Amino acid sequence: MRANEYYRASSLEDAYSKLQEDPKNVLLAGGLWIKKMGQSYNALIDLSTLGLNKISETKEEVIVGSMVTERDFENSPLIKSLYGDAISFATREVMGVNFRNLATIGGSIMGRYPFSDVITGLLPYDVTLHFYPEQEMKLEEFLLFRGKINAILVDIRIKKHVGKGFFKKVKTTALDFPIVNIAVSEVNDKYTIVVGARPMVAAIAHKASDYINSISSPSRDDFVKAAEIATEELQFLDNKDASKEYRIDLARVYIRRGLEEVSK
Amino acid sequence: MIIDKKKMRVVNQKTHSVDGKGLMQGRSFYTDDLADQNSLVIKILRSPHAFAHIKNIDVSKAKALNGVALVLTYKDVPHVSFSRAGQGYPEPSPHDKFILDEYVRYVGDEVAMVAAINEEIAEDALKLIEVEYEVLEPVLDFEKAVDNPSIIHPEDGIKEMFPIGFEPKRNIAAAYEMQVGNVEEELKKCDVVVDGTFYSQAQAHAMIEPHSSNARLDEHNRLVIYSSTQTPFHMRRIMATTLGMPVSQIRFIKPRVGGGFGGKQAFHGEFFCALTTLRTGRPSKMVYTREEVFGASYTRHPMRINMKIGAMKDGTIKAIDCRSLSDTGAYGEHSLTVFMIVGSKVLPLYNKVNAVRFGGEVVYTNHVSAGAYRGYGAIQGNYALESTIDILAEKLGINPRILREKNSMKEKETSPIFEIMGEGTKGTAMIMESCKLPYCIKRGAELIGWEENWPRKVISDTKVRGYGMAIAMQGSGIPFMDMGSASIKLNDGGSYMVTVGATDIGQGSDTIISQIVAEELQTTVDKILIYSSDTDLTPFDCGAYASSTTYISGNAAWNAAQKMRARLIKEAAGYLEVKESTVEFDGEVFTSGDKKVSLNDLSVLWLYNKDQHQVSVTESYIGHVSPPPFMAAYAEVEVDLETGEYEVLNYVTVTDCGTTINPMLARGQVEGGIVQGLGMACFEDVKYDKKGNLLSNNFLNYHIPTHKEIHKLTSEFADSYEPTGPFGAKSVGEIGIDTPPAVICNAIYNATGVRVHTLPITPEKILKGLKELKK
Amino acid sequence: MKVSFYLNDVLVNYDVNPNEYLSHTLRSHGVKSIKIGCNESTCGSCTLLVDDKPAMSCSILTAQIEGKHITTVEGIQEEAAKISYYFSEEGADQCGFCNVGYALVIYALKRELKNPTDEEINDYIVGNLCRCSGLQSQMNAIKRYLKED
Repeated sequence: MRANEYYRASSLEDAYSKLQEDPKNVLLAGGLWIKKMGQSYNALIDLSTLGLNKISETKEEVIVGSMVTERDFENSPLIKSLYGDAISFATREVMGVNFRNLATIGGSIMGRYPFSDVITGLLPYDVTLHFYPEQEMKLEEFLLFRGKINAILVDIRIKKHVGKGFFKKVKTTALDFPIVNIAVSEVNDKYTIVVGARPMVAAIAHKASDYINSISSPSRDDFVKAAEIATEELQFLDNKDASKEYRIDLARVYIRRGLEEVSK
Repeated sequence: MIIDKKKMRVVNQKTHSVDGKGLMQGRSFYTDDLADQNSLVIKILRSPHAFAHIKNIDVSKAKALNGVALVLTYKDVPHVSFSRAGQGYPEPSPHDKFILDEYVRYVGDEVAMVAAINEEIAEDALKLIEVEYEVLEPVLDFEKAVDNPSIIHPEDGIKEMFPIGFEPKRNIAAAYEMQVGNVEEELKKCDVVVDGTFYSQAQAHAMIEPHSSNARLDEHNRLVIYSSTQTPFHMRRIMATTLGMPVSQIRFIKPRVGGGFGGKQAFHGEFFCALTTLRTGRPSKMVYTREEVFGASYTRHPMRINMKIGAMKDGTIKAIDCRSLSDTGAYGEHSLTVFMIVGSKVLPLYNKVNAVRFGGEVVYTNHVSAGAYRGYGAIQGNYALESTIDILAEKLGINPRILREKNSMKEKETSPIFEIMGEGTKGTAMIMESCKLPYCIKRGAELIGWEENWPRKVISDTKVRGYGMAIAMQGSGIPFMDMGSASIKLNDGGSYMVTVGATDIGQGSDTIISQIVAEELQTTVDKILIYSSDTDLTPFDCGAYASSTTYISGNAAWNAAQKMRARLIKEAAGYLEVKESTVEFDGEVFTSGDKKVSLNDLSVLWLYNKDQHQVSVTESYIGHVSPPPFMAAYAEVEVDLETGEYEVLNYVTVTDCGTTINPMLARGQVEGGIVQGLGMACFEDVKYDKKGNLLSNNFLNYHIPTHKEIHKLTSEFADSYEPTGPFGAKSVGEIGIDTPPAVICNAIYNATGVRVHTLPITPEKILKGLKELKK
Repeated sequence: MKVSFYLNDVLVNYDVNPNEYLSHTLRSHGVKSIKIGCNESTCGSCTLLVDDKPAMSCSILTAQIEGKHITTVEGIQEEAAKISYYFSEEGADQCGFCNVGYALVIYALKRELKNPTDEEINDYIVGNLCRCSGLQSQMNAIKRYLKED
């Protein structure tokens, strides 16, 4: 990785104006992906002194600063208290502790990485992204948005509803990207099914979720059907880690198991 | 010489590694830690094509870049073919490589070298080199390599050192055929004949220290090279020959090495460091990037092995027919020798056959070159043989444990294969003086609960546990070929300086040799100061390969220690003015009747006060046999029938490696081998795209086992004593890796009914098989 | 650019490039105990502690650690010796290249987690690759070290 300048932003405004100065200026979160990509930049804009590394709560929401590390996120009692600890479980599957002490929640989300466990883990829940300059987006809306987001992620806000969650990362070893990942939630009596790493970034299986929500007390067969609908509505592809067919097989099994678990 | 194990005080006793504490505390003695701070940094321009001819190469812009000290292309280096394999002389590998060549034969092959004052400038210079390639049609399917219209080595000047079946115009690097008895006839007489074809993949060594080397000129203007190598003496010889220099002008130093597994037997950056330093007079260094470790070093030879076994209804195995095809990639390092071990260290397991045949070809392809890797043909052969034995057992309706017990090698037996097949040449006949394989099989079965559990246990609607087994053998060094030696010098204070060429690459040979010497001299390991290996300062050793160090170098150290002991007694007798035969030595004090003197006093006296002289000895050892260690291995796997995912819950091994010189290090060798073998069995896979680009070029895309995949290893050793080994020891470095592919294959079959014939045994393949069974 | 930080409690001030990584800075200042196995945050051998938390120094820009406390194995020599004792006892010693990274992670684990389960230990150390050992021996060694007061 090459860079001409390391710029410590003094405020969000300062960071934002620096970002606008040059298309080769870049925001620095954990810095892991920037290292991996090995490209050339003009300025690396450091956001670490802007107080974005805190987790707080209001009556309705848990607010996670974009510079919170994945490790602090998974260890936060506020995060653990949500949905039976289902969200932090997804983060704990990312590499090792010595990686997650560097990787940030903001970096994990803004990359919209197809292999992201963090995004799959969050997507079933009511999550809003807050940007500077002032802008809000639901997580799903952000994932579907095509084009460059010319703003700085300040925090994400997770609604504190009552509910349960399931997360499964299918992987070769603990340090692997997911072959596929599945998150299922049951919040306010509504199920949401999410499948990521297909190998594209996570998406909600709306038809399958609607189907299962239309049934008052769903049976195992209904869960099987929902899983089938999900694998039909979402796109799956081959890559070197697995075939499309195997991903579909895995998604079917784990969606059903997830629904069974959260329906208990 | 047989020594009572009960009398051993250091050998076979718990002994901490001599370097463990220092390394944990961060003492820095790995190759790159020792590079000169002002080293020029070397980077290599690598081929983007799987096969191409360099039509034009213009390095003028790179040379002009400020900070660049040297740029080399094939036009600037000696055009002398050699083998990078790092073997003894003459090598059984073809001389088919040039330091730089006008052809590039895999994506990652060397095109040009840059040395610059720092890494960034070297990288920038690489981008300034302009190359015009004539892209050639690559050979990427090893089953289509022979007589392919694309000839990977069309060039002149390449050669075999002695007949190895080298036919480069047919893309054949080596070939081999052997037969004992008449296999076709014997198979006709058998009640049952089974056969299976098994594909084993390329595997990456993935040692954590990347290949590293650096060079400088000393005050005599001699070339000094530090290298993370397993073979410093072979490197010195090969470099001298290839660069046309006298051996005397080159010194190779092997510092601590961060893992080798065969991957550091061969040359990597050493030639580039040497040329840079010789031509600029400046120190230089080269450390492979992780991408280069994966994409420009070596892999295990991928193979296709067909195994045919004939037996009678009572379970007597009569004939084995094994036909193999091996992919050596772009260059032929270890092509013949790895191939031969598929037969020579596998087929003798079932030594009661009337006929056995083995043969096939090793072919060139445009893949990353294959080379030495722990297991070295044995793991490939074991996967095919031991899977087929289970197929046979099922067909005969015999418990596979019993079938193995009945037919496998026993103590005092032999196999005609030993005499026929060696390492690229004829072999050496030998009797199994130590073989506790029957015990290993029996004890392993107890530990896994074979009788209760085999073949499977149903846990739930979706979970089944399967049980599988395999047996294995290896060797201990290469007889009449590879030599080790050791020097021992007495210091004032009564400690001993031991210098050995034996190459500690992390396997712990410095500790093992210290224990052997301490045992013989009846002292403690803290009195042994050990130094390995440096071509200037230590006596010759072939290096760390072929499971040779404990047996060959250990025997050399033992010989030296015996000689030192005899010398000390002789000199003490002179001092005490008594007959030698009356002197007793307990490690600290020489006693003869009522006369006594301490080693401590004598050691000081001899240097400072009386008859001043240095007491030192040097001894060597060359093996006359290669006694195999044996192992029986069992696994319990739990399979999810809905997804094919599985976990290895317990891996049981019972090993006969003779005396375990250091029981903890022996366990480390066995378990480390098993875990690498499990990686190969379960998921490790070198993958290319359709153009020959390596996809598995980092730890995110090439998965090695982590703490979360390993649940339980149960490792025991048989009580065994090899009369030709040092204090009864045989080798233990490779045997551990051999069994996992067959064991897991058999266990998965027993759990699911799916036999996976292509490694690795992935959940996806299992689920596919389960679906086919349902049809 | 100038960066100041505490290296094993000693304030240091280094002149670095904006794109320079901590592993490089420290090794070029003679801290060769830091081992670079992959240089892409996947093997863990370059792990050190940043404000007491294990992190991979190959992927931290030196500029990012302004004012922070860095602990290398030189700062935990006695604990490293103790960890080494259990590694030897359990047969976990081999090439040693990954050991320094392990030592720092294990030391941090002991300080961060009280009475961890096997799963928690695994989770904490899984980012450190070892290719030599059977991995079980490290686990056994770690458990013995954690029991020590």
